[in-house]
Amino acid sequence: MPTIEFKGKSYEVDEDGYLINLNDWNEDVAGFLAEQEEVEMTEAHWEVVNFLRDYYAEYKIAPMIKILVKAIGAKLGPEKGNTKYLYSLYPAGPAKQACKIAGLPKPTGCV
Amino acid sequence: MAKVKVEVPELTGEITIPGLKEDAAAAVKSHNAPAKDMTDLGFPTELVPDWKEKAVAKFAELLKKYRSLKVYMDICVKCGACTDKCHFYLSTKDPRNMPVARAELLRKVYRRYFTTAGKVLGKLAEAEDLTKEVLEEWYTYFYQCTECRRCSLFCPYGIDTAEITMAAREMMDTVGLGAKYPLQTINKAITIGNNLGMPGPAIRSTLDFMEEDVKEQTGVPVKFPMDVKGADVLLITPSADFFATPHVESLAGYAKVFHQAGISWTLSSYASEAGNFGMFNGNYEHMQKIASRIKVAINELKPKRLVHGECGHAWRVAYSFWNTLIGPFDSLDPKYPAPQHICEFTYDLINRGALKLDKTANDDFVVTFHDSCNVARASRMGNSPGGQFEIPRAIIRATCNKFVDMHPDTIREKTFCCGAGGGLLADEIIDLRIKGVMPRMQAYKAVKDSHGANFFALICAICKAQFTKVFPYYGYEMEEVGGVHQLVSRAIVLGGKEGI
Amino acid sequence: MQFLTIIFSLMAYGAAAVFVFGILCKIMVYAKTPSPLKIPTTPAPTTSFGAAVRVLSEVLLFRSLYRSNKWTWLGGVVFHWAFLFVVLRHLRYFLYPLPAWDMKLQYIGIVAGIVLPIAVLYLLMRRTTVDRTVFISSLADYFALTLIFFIAGTGLMMKFYERPFMVDIKGFVYGLATFNFSAVPTDPVFLVHFTLVMILLAYFPYSKLVHAPGIFFSPTRNQADNPRERRHVNPWSPNLT
Repeated sequence: MPTIEFKGKSYEVDEDGYLINLNDWNEDVAGFLAEQEEVEMTEAHWEVVNFLRDYYAEYKIAPMIKILVKAIGAKLGPEKGNTKYLYSLYPAGPAKQACKIAGLPKPTGCV
Repeated sequence: MAKVKVEVPELTGEITIPGLKEDAAAAVKSHNAPAKDMTDLGFPTELVPDWKEKAVAKFAELLKKYRSLKVYMDICVKCGACTDKCHFYLSTKDPRNMPVARAELLRKVYRRYFTTAGKVLGKLAEAEDLTKEVLEEWYTYFYQCTECRRCSLFCPYGIDTAEITMAAREMMDTVGLGAKYPLQTINKAITIGNNLGMPGPAIRSTLDFMEEDVKEQTGVPVKFPMDVKGADVLLITPSADFFATPHVESLAGYAKVFHQAGISWTLSSYASEAGNFGMFNGNYEHMQKIASRIKVAINELKPKRLVHGECGHAWRVAYSFWNTLIGPFDSLDPKYPAPQHICEFTYDLINRGALKLDKTANDDFVVTFHDSCNVARASRMGNSPGGQFEIPRAIIRATCNKFVDMHPDTIREKTFCCGAGGGLLADEIIDLRIKGVMPRMQAYKAVKDSHGANFFALICAICKAQFTKVFPYYGYEMEEVGGVHQLVSRAIVLGGKEGI
Repeated sequence: MQFLTIIFSLMAYGAAAVFVFGILCKIMVYAKTPSPLKIPTTPAPTTSFGAAVRVLSEVLLFRSLYRSNKWTWLGGVVFHWAFLFVVLRHLRYFLYPLPAWDMKLQYIGIVAGIVLPIAVLYLLMRRTTVDRTVFISSLADYFALTLIFFIAGTGLMMKFYERPFMVDIKGFVYGLATFNFSAVPTDPVFLVHFTLVMILLAYFPYSKLVHAPGIFFSPTRNQADNPRERRHVNPWSPNLT
């Protein structure tokens, strides 16, 4: 199993760089993962990550994009409640890239 | 993680047959499956010491169980009819992506262990020992086949590379060489009930959201029911419809159709997946296990009809295999086909005048239709052959004013694969996926240039995920991709029940 | 003389036995191996009759090949039909008295005999000039074509160049067919022709040439598309309850 080294600690990740253990996650690790993804974390980015983690804590899966879009719109203003905006935050896709930074497992299936 | 380097083919609007570039795609490798998934699925976690004997024994077993495999190992005359038909050959130029050459990877081992000539003459009879190198080749090239059957259509004997790929993958799985994306997906479908691994409450939360969303947009309280006993229709749809965009827009479309037709329906949290990746890896038991959840749901919810959402390979399994795997469907109303595709269902309602559709709602779009391979070449809709082409197009024509077909050599049964079916919708092989879609993109570009096409309609969850992902690489918007029922959802006029 | 006759008679029976036994074995294995699932390449006929017509359209007209590549189709169709008429013409050596229909086939059989090696050369040329077919072709592919080329060539030599005494040939072949032996003609061209044909017969069941019986067993072509209407049962998998 591959690992990533960060601040003297090593974390187990899968081949795509997703954290294996959900509990390994903290904001520092998220920042490190974002750096790897070449994503510069702004407040809006954190909003997404936090929403994903909260949703995951309740439902054991990331939310559907549409739900995420609406939640972000509610938080940051309706002009930001759209898929385009989410992709501008996470160019490789909110479901996959944002999940990775949020320390959630990668979604499988036809997505 | 280093960013994967990708190479995007140039779009000219034409599909040309390239010269050979040996080993051009030899480095393509899907990730190996995690130990947990291998164990759960009954496979060894890594290559077993006696892998060669095990693989040959599995081969022998499959040859006895599948006439297709046995006959197709023997009868290829290497006429070359298939050589320019595979999207992966056309785009990677790797000669081993020519279907005949792909199959030869298995055939040479077949000759060595199962034919007299091969046993005696060896290389002279094109027979080869099963070595680690050969196994590596299998892993490389049998995970560069989307099992789309385009080659089979053109083969004078109907040799179906999908059957050969499935057998090769099953042999590899058996000795401990599995691919992550398909096996992880199979494992989730078997243990949790859907490919995404979405628990019931998460689905319910999504459906609640959709109810609110549709209500907000239309003012009509369209229901998205789940686990309702005694509903007329049990809808089995890919779990991506509960999660991804644009998939969910089609889910809204189905719900509105049911609502407007006044037919009660339900989803099942237990059987929350139409997709069946068991087929992709050729394991009958897995395929049957995944499908059996639907049987359980039928027994529990006691619907009269079984309707199937927009998903290509799933429709193949449902249409062609369900009756064998989990049939007969004696408890369902025999007046309706079991299963029935949502397109058949909607088409029927349109024909009976039960739906009011406002075509101008889609006036922004010039729509074209992508025939998904498993629907086109491995299933049917309606009562006559080819209904799988006519019915979705008829629905599209009923929902929009501007429709244009792509080049005749790239649609209907000659359709080109999206480049990610067959368990290849994995991130690590994105470069291959971008290449594989090239023939389809050329045809789309041609109708973009000639007719201004800007909406790419389709009825497959994998296709939807693949096209939304690769369109931007080619400079197109991902919003151009959407389901046929997304068009229905936009055009349907709710309220004012007319009844049927 | 006697010795040569024994050798060639044994060879003929040997080759015929290998051919018949080999083909029957293949057919039996194909017929016995189950088709667990419905896998016709669609759009497909919805009835068994329709599926039979589909298979025949492949066997007689090479319909799928036509859709794939018109040039390969042309070569393939001409080759196979020529081969068929050449074989039918050769029935004259097995039948006595010669039926009227076979008489009528003699002329077209000769035309076919001339066309056959030309078609073989065309197929060989195609195989060796298109980079894709060069890549996939192997010794076996060249062997089969070359063998048939020489069979046709020696046959034509006997027709147009060095005609052996036909009565002797018919006597020998008819004798073999009716177990009423007569001496093998010693014409060297005939002996080469005859030997090559025996090689082809023996080679047939153990090579790609089994595509001839095999095509009838191809599930993607011979299955009717009716899985919803009629439940297809997998013989090796138990029913779920």
